[in-house]
Amino acid sequence: MSLKFGILGLLAEQPLHAYSVKARFEDLLGGSWEVNIGQVYTTLQRLERDGLVEPAEPRGDRGRLPYRLTEVGRKALEAWLAEPESEPQQLREEIYLKLQLATRIANGDLPALLARQRRVYLQRLKDLAVLEQKAKVQGRDDLVLLYKGAILHTEADLKWVDACAQEIRKGEDKR
Amino acid sequence: MTTLVELTEVSKTYDGASGRAALDRVSLGIEGGELTAIMGPSGSGKSTLLNLIAGIDRPSGGRVRVGGEDLGRLSEARLARFRRARLGFVFQFFNLLGNLTVLENVLIPAQLQGTRPATAKARAMELLTRLDIAELAGHYPARLSGGQQQRVAIARALINQPVLLLADEPTGALDTHGGAQVMELIEGLNREGQTVLLVTHDAKLASRHAGRVVTLIDGRVVDDARLEGASPAPQSVVKVRIREGQS
Repeated sequence: MSLKFGILGLLAEQPLHAYSVKARFEDLLGGSWEVNIGQVYTTLQRLERDGLVEPAEPRGDRGRLPYRLTEVGRKALEAWLAEPESEPQQLREEIYLKLQLATRIANGDLPALLARQRRVYLQRLKDLAVLEQKAKVQGRDDLVLLYKGAILHTEADLKWVDACAQEIRKGEDKR
Repeated sequence: MTTLVELTEVSKTYDGASGRAALDRVSLGIEGGELTAIMGPSGSGKSTLLNLIAGIDRPSGGRVRVGGEDLGRLSEARLARFRRARLGFVFQFFNLLGNLTVLENVLIPAQLQGTRPATAKARAMELLTRLDIAELAGHYPARLSGGQQQRVAIARALINQPVLLLADEPTGALDTHGGAQVMELIEGLNREGQTVLLVTHDAKLASRHAGRVVTLIDGRVVDDARLEGASPAPQSVVKVRIREGQS
């Protein structure tokens, strides 16, 4: 997820200074990410350098300087919003690496590795259900969608763990 | 807590099958008061396990004890009595009799059990009230929604005060809303002390409502997880990754 376009999107609503950007960004993502204020400053400076944002008031205290979107920034934001997400699938969890190595190492206990991983995913599903319910009660439909996405991904992860377990069982049957 | 269900090295092989056991040396204990989900993909042995615990089928090997009874030692007649008196069943397709009213459907197991009609009726109305469908007592099943029919089926399952409620994909035929209500209800019954064994292929359902999830793959227990119900911090569950330096 791009901080650059996240900031441009927030500034499209109204001019904001760096601390407001940080607070609104975190709220947007339901507290699922703490944004570093240094990252926000750096990104705002780069956006200003590239002509996508500009100070909304005469330059004063850096922390209190509100920025607004320029016309170039608005066009860049609109182009980004219109693009489908086409980056390669990101498999960041270390379980993929562990699985690859465990199959190569003699006596690597794959079923136990998969069972431990399954527990993590099951607990995650339960936790996500709690968060989704909380977001529903709070009327945060945007966060409900974010959690639904995480739930679907976790369900897919679980299915993958089951598929691995079934393959291992097939391998045992052949031996 | 006492162990209500105890499976020891239980196997089941069907005649004419490929040779692979439908259940392969499964050992499992379920305590009274638990809501346990048996989960696994189709063909993993979930229904076989349920049928063995329910005494509908007999194992090829090993021992099944439910409520202190060794089911393998019971005759067919005693097994049938045991099922009626001690177990409650909820199925995917409610299995209500269309020519009987809601109340009459709920009363069937009590009549088979020989309970006094007045006692049975009082208990049935108490359950229908508890399940929020008392006003439907005189209606016929065809007039009810799927969710309401499943509530009737739950009342019928509980009329004889079973020690164990067996629910086999109880939301499988319901829409999301009806399914969620039925599961809330089952979870509520569990909080009041009812032991529940839920069979499902749905990981979301299992993890959301059960405190314990047993996973079967190809007839074997591959995991037995106890889940924590505490309220989590969003950051410990999901993190949105933010790219840096993209300007």
